[in-house]
Amino acid sequence: MLPDWMKKSDNYAPPRDGGAFVVKTINSIGLVLSRLKVQRGHEKEHALPAVLKLFIVLSVIVLISVTQSRLLLIGVLAVTELYLSTWPAEDILSIVKACVFAAVLAFIIMLPAMILKPYGIGNNLIVILKVFLSVELMNIFNHTTQWNHITGALRKIHIPGIFVFTLDITLKYIVLLGTLINDLLTSLRLRSVGKNNKKYQSVGGVMGVTFMKSTEMSKEMYEAMVCRGFTDDYSGL
Amino acid sequence: MHIPENYLSPATCGVMAAAMVPVWAHAVKKVSVELPKEKMPLLGVGAAFSFLGMMFNVPLVGGTTGHAVGGTLIALLFGPDAACIAVSIALLIQALLFGDGGILAFGANCFNMAFILPYVGYFMYKLLLKAMDRSESGKDIYKYISAAVGSYIGINVAALFAAVEFGIQPLLFTDANGLALYCPYDLSVSIPAMLIPHLLVAGVVEAVFTVAIYAFVRKTAPDMLYENIKQTGSATEAKHSPIFALVAVLIAATPLGLLATGTAWGEWGADEIAEIENAGQALGYTPAGLANGWSLDVIMPDYTLGGVNEVAAYIFSAILGVALLIIFFKLASLFIKENKNGYAS
Repeated sequence: MLPDWMKKSDNYAPPRDGGAFVVKTINSIGLVLSRLKVQRGHEKEHALPAVLKLFIVLSVIVLISVTQSRLLLIGVLAVTELYLSTWPAEDILSIVKACVFAAVLAFIIMLPAMILKPYGIGNNLIVILKVFLSVELMNIFNHTTQWNHITGALRKIHIPGIFVFTLDITLKYIVLLGTLINDLLTSLRLRSVGKNNKKYQSVGGVMGVTFMKSTEMSKEMYEAMVCRGFTDDYSGL
Repeated sequence: MHIPENYLSPATCGVMAAAMVPVWAHAVKKVSVELPKEKMPLLGVGAAFSFLGMMFNVPLVGGTTGHAVGGTLIALLFGPDAACIAVSIALLIQALLFGDGGILAFGANCFNMAFILPYVGYFMYKLLLKAMDRSESGKDIYKYISAAVGSYIGINVAALFAAVEFGIQPLLFTDANGLALYCPYDLSVSIPAMLIPHLLVAGVVEAVFTVAIYAFVRKTAPDMLYENIKQTGSATEAKHSPIFALVAVLIAATPLGLLATGTAWGEWGADEIAEIENAGQALGYTPAGLANGWSLDVIMPDYTLGGVNEVAAYIFSAILGVALLIIFFKLASLFIKENKNGYAS
């Protein structure tokens, strides 16, 4: 025998809720995580070794920074754009966004000079072009090389161990802590169905838990390193 | 046919740009509906053909130069609306990067080369094809003849419009002494000066350029053609290596355009114009609007970099132009996809 209330069909629609920040934060964290974790970009199997690529990119950037020759500049630009034009559209967009942003920033910095001394506009445009090109080259390198290959390449060109170590650990911890924040926000969202005006109060909780977790993790890692013979000397890493 | 900065009065430029706005709006709307998203990058290749065509200067009678535009060609490949957009973007890159055609005159240049030329060329092609091919046999030879005549008429009508825009300047804008402020030649000079070379040489070059590439594309990549795009919608992905090979050959051949050393009629710099002779008499003065006019410092004026290796600069310009056009239309295809999803949801 079913009770009466079970036979009725419910028509419950939760009122609109103001907690869009949870979804937004989850989405943006997810985006960063997927970039780091999935090693976005399309490094091909037969790609050049990362250290060689890094060397080429750095030397080309130095070259275009010091060169006086417009022909060289245009040549590098033409070859870079030609290479970029063979890429899939989504990848081109992510590169172009970053370079256009850098170029616009350079333009704004140059703007007073251009207004005060209009005869120098030609040279100012060259500087903007150089900024655009450098950012584009670096982005292309970044996009076609996995994170761990980049840190490996940095180590190979004798960047001090402490820098490479810090960079590597930072990247790994962004993933770990990002996953943690993601889990916390997801559970918050699942537990607060419907309208909940106290949702913003949980933000502090999320941040606090993350901070405590991170100190705990760093302590654990230091202890693990000491157990494996780490003597506060980074040069041997 | 690129009208440089300050040859047209700002008022004329404003009118021409305003006239282009509805044309662009119409073209963008039609292309985003008609052209499948995956064909957009190919439109970039079409625009690249046009860009390269405009780099091949041929010497014309009277020491000036002219070039093909390829507007009719893109109209045959992707439809007149897509051609309007493609040529507009090619012209924009030329104006901003290479100083070929003025920024203020961009509207006027688009009106002539991106609106009049492809639409006239395409509809002449359609008309002729209908008239010649009554039985609808679809023979290639009819198409090629129609394409040749259509493109020939298209570029000449465009040249006529450019000539009229030049020619009305001295009639409308003069200073107190009766000296022209902008382009100094009136209709009686500008129309023959623009039309005779275009009728005799540039029109023929345009027709040859159009038919040669049209025939090549028909044979090697028929899925790029407008008629097939319309019929089959999104066809299967095809290889286009011959097309890219052709683009590479054209890039390598662009330095041939350097052989023609003269300046095209109506494209002289402010320093040249006083010495230009007309009917045995030099002009003798520099119009005020030209001498004091606004001009933009571009990175590579006239596709060269003062004094350095012209051939290398020309080839780099060609590569750069082609790459930028392909990148632009690849990015455009992304935004078209987003639009369509937006309508669906």
